[in-house]
Amino acid sequence: MNNYIILSVFVALFLVFVALGFGSSRFRRGDMSDLGEWALAGRKLGGYLAWFLVGADLYTAYTFIAIPELVYEKGAVYFYAVPYVGMTFGIAMITMPRLWRMAKGKNYVTAIDMVQDKFNSKTLAILLAFTGIVAELPYIALQIYGMQAVLTVMIGHLTTTDANIVTEIALIVSFIVLAAFTFTSGLRGATITAVMKDAIIFASVIVIIVVVPMRIGGFAVAFTDAKTLATGTSTLAGLYLNGFISLTIMSALALYLYPHAINGVFSTNSTKRLRLSTALLPIYGVGLALLALFGILIYAVPSALGDVAKYGAVTVVPSLIYAEFPDWFVGFAFLGIFIGGLVPASIMAISQANLLTRNVVKVARPNMNSKTEARLSKWFSVMFKFIALAFIFAISATYSLELQLVGGIIILQTLPAIFIGMYTKRLNKYAVGVGWAAGMITGVYMILDANFFIAHLPSLQTTFFKFATPFSFIYIGLIALLVNLLIAIVGSLVMGGTKEASVKTTKA
Amino acid sequence: MSSEESDTGWNYSAKGTTGQKVIVAILLIFPMLIFGITPLYNKDKPTLLGLPFFYWFETIWLVVSAVFYVIAALMLNRMEGGDSQ
Repeated sequence: MNNYIILSVFVALFLVFVALGFGSSRFRRGDMSDLGEWALAGRKLGGYLAWFLVGADLYTAYTFIAIPELVYEKGAVYFYAVPYVGMTFGIAMITMPRLWRMAKGKNYVTAIDMVQDKFNSKTLAILLAFTGIVAELPYIALQIYGMQAVLTVMIGHLTTTDANIVTEIALIVSFIVLAAFTFTSGLRGATITAVMKDAIIFASVIVIIVVVPMRIGGFAVAFTDAKTLATGTSTLAGLYLNGFISLTIMSALALYLYPHAINGVFSTNSTKRLRLSTALLPIYGVGLALLALFGILIYAVPSALGDVAKYGAVTVVPSLIYAEFPDWFVGFAFLGIFIGGLVPASIMAISQANLLTRNVVKVARPNMNSKTEARLSKWFSVMFKFIALAFIFAISATYSLELQLVGGIIILQTLPAIFIGMYTKRLNKYAVGVGWAAGMITGVYMILDANFFIAHLPSLQTTFFKFATPFSFIYIGLIALLVNLLIAIVGSLVMGGTKEASVKTTKA
Repeated sequence: MSSEESDTGWNYSAKGTTGQKVIVAILLIFPMLIFGITPLYNKDKPTLLGLPFFYWFETIWLVVSAVFYVIAALMLNRMEGGDSQ
């Protein structure tokens, strides 16, 4: 292998990526000092671009790094990501056109804008805004883990002495570049670069999934080599069925509660295009399924297993690519994975910034105009990127996926206010608030109990709760959401709906 | 309710007959339901290209779901009326 060819291809394509990122501010040009223009690309994205943008939320380090890592380490239960993706777009087709319509009429930028009007409660809005902001942090951290995994393999083969320092510097430099073009191009930058990222990823995944099984003698060989994985190899083992089903349904409910997903929805230009592009998104999931299978395929490729032993299970996909392909292709695919973490991180930070501006700062300063909002959001987006970067140096997670699953437990607590609040006036704001608090406490307590209370060195290892048979391996998100829903619904029945909740009380 | 309010989408309800709505509901719910009933596909055989049933079925069901969803989307878009975009 000539590692300098890999590096050169990688760097050259990264420069193209950066040029696209900065240049895209001119795409369907708008006044970038306006929040709707910067953060929602002027609500002008048509079907194809919306498909790429929302797809960008899906093809992230979650797909390339976190899922293959755990399929490799633990087996079948982590294939839950496939039914999750299939289900989540059905849920989106039901809920999102309605939310889009509510938002369009009132120029909402976040789902919490809707909650604030619907429940006529600034306190509830602030609580939920912070919930969204916090839930995105581990998700962004996961993206950084993914980027780090690629750099580790690439730089690790170049130099063994200073690999860690070089990796960290490379990571920080890329974040500065990303922050700069998010600042200037906003969601346009993320969307245009998402097209480049997905083109590279699609091409790489298809090549890999055709070539590798042929070379090793078919998938059957890999499944034999994989032997027995903890949660099952060719099918789910025993009670991991609980884990599989609860992870599937909860993740499917969670995705469109995330601020970044809703941000993507609001940037589309009509409900019809939104509906059609959402309907086609499960196709994206096929790539996810293939990448998840890399976690099994790698068992038949001994040299890749060697790299994984050296650099960690988080490098399953990059190690497999490095082992099997010519230099130029490795550089090409590595860049795809790398920007596959960067682009989503940009979208997520934009959505966090919108929440902080619209639903927290604006409450204190209601007379802020859209220019001030945009300026604030731009700076907040820079800030959140670096908070996430600091986050990964501070929190140690045994498996990168668990970060995203913690985010899921948190964001699920906004479900009653958003998904149910969208449809009915019968929810009571106090009941929803208390339900939220109870769900959060339950979730956080269970995470601590399952991971940190006994452990000597705290490290996040699991988001399954340690119930006894037959309730083993249930995802904590399910339990926390049930507690939340029970209180929100029973409380609302007892106290009655929020009377003030009416569209007439607010001016568009 | 004034027409201005219904335009904002707060009180929007889809046009179309009950029959159409039932078909759309089935088109959306059926793919999700199959994914949710995991015991249906938690088996080893038959294999396809060396992949256990568990893996290939879920992958192919993604494509089937997309077909169901697209039909539902086209029906809903027609029920919504207005411009063809």
